[in-house]
Amino acid sequence: MVDLIMTIKQRRQSLRSLWRLLGMAAVFVTILAGHGLAGAAASTSFKDRIVALEFDSATGTLLKATAKTLSQSNDQGQTWTRVALPPSAAKADVAAVAISAGDKRVLYIAGPGLGVFRTKDGGRSWTAANQGLPNRRVVALTTHADQADTVYAYVTGKGIFRSQDAGARWRLMDRGPREKILHFVHSNMPGSMETGWLFAATSEGVRRSMDCFCGWHKAGELVGKVESVAYDPDEPQRVYAGTAKGLFVSADGGEQWTSMKSPASVITALTAAPSGVLYAGANGSLFLSRDRGETWEKVDA
Amino acid sequence: MHSIPLGVVAGLLSVAALTHAAKPPPSSANQQRIGAGRLIYQQYCASCHGAKGEGKPGWQQRDAQGELPPPPHGPEGHTWKHADGMLYRIIRDGWRDPFNKTKRQTMPAYGQTLAPGEIRAVITYLKTLWTPEQRRIQREESRRQPFPPEAQ
Repeated sequence: MVDLIMTIKQRRQSLRSLWRLLGMAAVFVTILAGHGLAGAAASTSFKDRIVALEFDSATGTLLKATAKTLSQSNDQGQTWTRVALPPSAAKADVAAVAISAGDKRVLYIAGPGLGVFRTKDGGRSWTAANQGLPNRRVVALTTHADQADTVYAYVTGKGIFRSQDAGARWRLMDRGPREKILHFVHSNMPGSMETGWLFAATSEGVRRSMDCFCGWHKAGELVGKVESVAYDPDEPQRVYAGTAKGLFVSADGGEQWTSMKSPASVITALTAAPSGVLYAGANGSLFLSRDRGETWEKVDA
Repeated sequence: MHSIPLGVVAGLLSVAALTHAAKPPPSSANQQRIGAGRLIYQQYCASCHGAKGEGKPGWQQRDAQGELPPPPHGPEGHTWKHADGMLYRIIRDGWRDPFNKTKRQTMPAYGQTLAPGEIRAVITYLKTLWTPEQRRIQREESRRQPFPPEAQ
């Protein structure tokens, strides 16, 4: 009799435990579902986020990249034409776009997991250009301001690689600044020992190095995450920084920064064109300024 | 007697060739140039860059005047990253860091003090302070920017 009572008690306890478990599982599933929805919403906005802008001064073409698309415009962003991406871009995201100086008009894209690709025919055919890179985690890429075949790529955790033959072979130049590079540009601002400078938008301000890779230095006191840097091609000492707190400008090559009028609170991509034209990507929107950032207009929905 | 596979022999020969290629030519003319360069270095360069090319402490950071202290010339520095043509130009013409807050030259010009052959001799001496790999890379860089005709 006592055994029977004990067995019934044990079964009741087991049932209570089972209900508790089921309840916890239900809560867990609900949380997961909610997270999934939020994740889906976040991935939608991420998909449309402008990750890179590049202006080709020779042709007046503006290039705009999101993680999965590349488009070009010849009318300051009013109308766009899609540029076909290599099939590998379906599996990895684009993070950077750059176009070569000179007449060759070689277009490069890069991204973590994607590596570097180049096209010489406007995207009709792409060639992988990774020989000499340690892996394909390329998060930033820029072309030399004046040398047609010189390209720089930043590989996370490895450093900055340079190619002087349009991406055919790469060589490690240095480890880069201590801070993580998010975007960088080559500038022909005067005063370098070599041929120019590299300005890097990093997780903690802007960093600057001559292109001899003689050492990275802090460029001014701009603090916090900088998403993108650009410089005025007519006045290379004038450098712009797109941050999570809007736009900043330096008139002296990155020594002093001042806040400037920003079309949005968060700037995700930035490029400068001749005659004071500036383009700023703010998540999914593109803004244009024709007066060095004094006024802005939204040009792309 | 053990036979050594041909591939291993070829590999060893390749390594030997590469090692040899990484060193400056061991000609007597080159040795003379290195010796002359060492003397010129001690006379004109050592006071800033150190008797053994060790540079000034803290050379990687700007000082209070925004100046970059003289860097070392050995493997830890960046001299080896510059092509012959550029090293020659920097010694001849000097260089001023645009972010230097003083009016001083960051690197003084020696074009009025040293003859072209003497500048080349100093650079040839500096190459002895680098690793074989650094010499190899610098030689590649110098293909695009060799010594100017005046120093040939």
